[in-house]
Amino acid sequence: MQQALPYINLPFTTTSNGGATTTAVEVPKLVAENAVVIFARSGCCMCHVVKLLLHGHGVNPTIFDIDEQNEASVTGELSKIIGIGEAKAAGRPQFPAVFVGGKLFGGLEEVMAAHISGELVPMLRKARALWL
Amino acid sequence: MNFASTQFVPSRRMGICEPLPQIGMWSDYKENNYLDTSTPAILEVDSRFDNQVQFVLFIICMHCLVFFGHMLINLCVIYVQSEDTSHGIVEPSNKYDQEVSKTNDKQLRRLAQNREAARKCRLRKKAYVQQLENSKLRLMQLEQELERARQQGLYVGGGLDTGQLGYSRTTNPGIATFEMAYGHWVEEQNKKTADLRNALCSDITDLELSSFVDDGMNHYFDLFLMKETAAKADVFYLMSGMWETSAEHFLSWIGGFRPSELLKVLEPHLGPLTEKQSLELSNLKQSCQQAEDALSQGLERLHQILSETVADGLLGEGNYLPQINAALEKLKAMVRFVGQADHLRKETLLQISRNLNNRQAAQGLLALGEYFQRLRVLSSFWTSRPRESS
Repeated sequence: MQQALPYINLPFTTTSNGGATTTAVEVPKLVAENAVVIFARSGCCMCHVVKLLLHGHGVNPTIFDIDEQNEASVTGELSKIIGIGEAKAAGRPQFPAVFVGGKLFGGLEEVMAAHISGELVPMLRKARALWL
Repeated sequence: MNFASTQFVPSRRMGICEPLPQIGMWSDYKENNYLDTSTPAILEVDSRFDNQVQFVLFIICMHCLVFFGHMLINLCVIYVQSEDTSHGIVEPSNKYDQEVSKTNDKQLRRLAQNREAARKCRLRKKAYVQQLENSKLRLMQLEQELERARQQGLYVGGGLDTGQLGYSRTTNPGIATFEMAYGHWVEEQNKKTADLRNALCSDITDLELSSFVDDGMNHYFDLFLMKETAAKADVFYLMSGMWETSAEHFLSWIGGFRPSELLKVLEPHLGPLTEKQSLELSNLKQSCQQAEDALSQGLERLHQILSETVADGLLGEGNYLPQINAALEKLKAMVRFVGQADHLRKETLLQISRNLNNRQAAQGLLALGEYFQRLRVLSSFWTSRPRESS
């Protein structure tokens, strides 16, 4: 399973080894207060890939584990953040969902594309995820 | 059939059944020649034909002769004419006996030859049919073996260089479609590579070159779309490399070419690069490598998770359906991995084309096309190499 990452920010961060999981109520706060947040299902390998890519840039993302219990409520919260119009168009948010600077950036594909085109780093810098 | 006919009268009969232009000549000849007066003797000839079958064969013989052209007819006419003049018209009956016996010999010879030819033809046909039957049996045996091997989970074959084996036809229509489409794709690709080579050698405008480049890039993107559909039908087919040639599969990474390797192959053939371009290329190589590593590690994790899911509760749990169902869910991630790998390939191609001018991009595409062609040729040489006896 995923290793617990040393997050420096919030007491609300989840650890995926079955530690204290946050409730969906904290979702908006998480998104607003963290430069990079990843929402992903437990044990999702795609999330692992996103995490590795971001680590490669020196970014420590906040990861929110979604399990069966909180999936519905989390999805609801996320749809609210994304905006009803977008959520409706997408059907439901695709996981893993990456938020940068409080806004939905996309999924693994978007992160990958930005990584290759070189747009990812400026964007991370802008969101204060990077200081270099 | 009316026996009161000779080699000439049958021609008239032939004239009725089969309108051959040469017949006219025969009948003309008959009218204008001494042979007209020979009717009574010719009747005599008929009486020598005591075998109806021989006569029919004789008719067929005549058909053949007529059919083989004016020349042949002319030669025969000349021959008969010369015979007529050389013998003179002294004693009609004597002369006719000789004539008739000579003609009879010719006819007999022709009949014999025809019989021989027909016999040889029948023998050849028999041998051919026998060969076909044997091949059919062998084919059925092979198909059975293949079916057995497949059921045991042993994949046979290596894509296009060993021919299209029946895997798709017997099991998955989605894969059958892909195999056919991919075959066409490769043909198209070879054509486009050849066209691009010619275009680069010729005096071509930059605008025309850019359309070549766009066309080439889109062709690769078409392949990624095809693979997306195939992955939904059977992702393991794509991953196993059965659709690729053996050399391509050996060098492949998650169901296709490795982008960073591609950049290394292309680099020397792009022509002189500006400093900015060199830097961009170097950055791209690094980003590619990072993305590939991330995907590879993600895939390894999937292996781990799958193994754990399947093994959950071994040695004792009677009912393992929950584990199988859980594992099924995990396996679905495979489709996404192949999709992400293809997406990376596409993004890499797009990014490199953004940094190059049209000529450089065209040269890159040409190098790429030739590289894959060489891999395919390598595979087919490898497959058909003489095996060392063990």
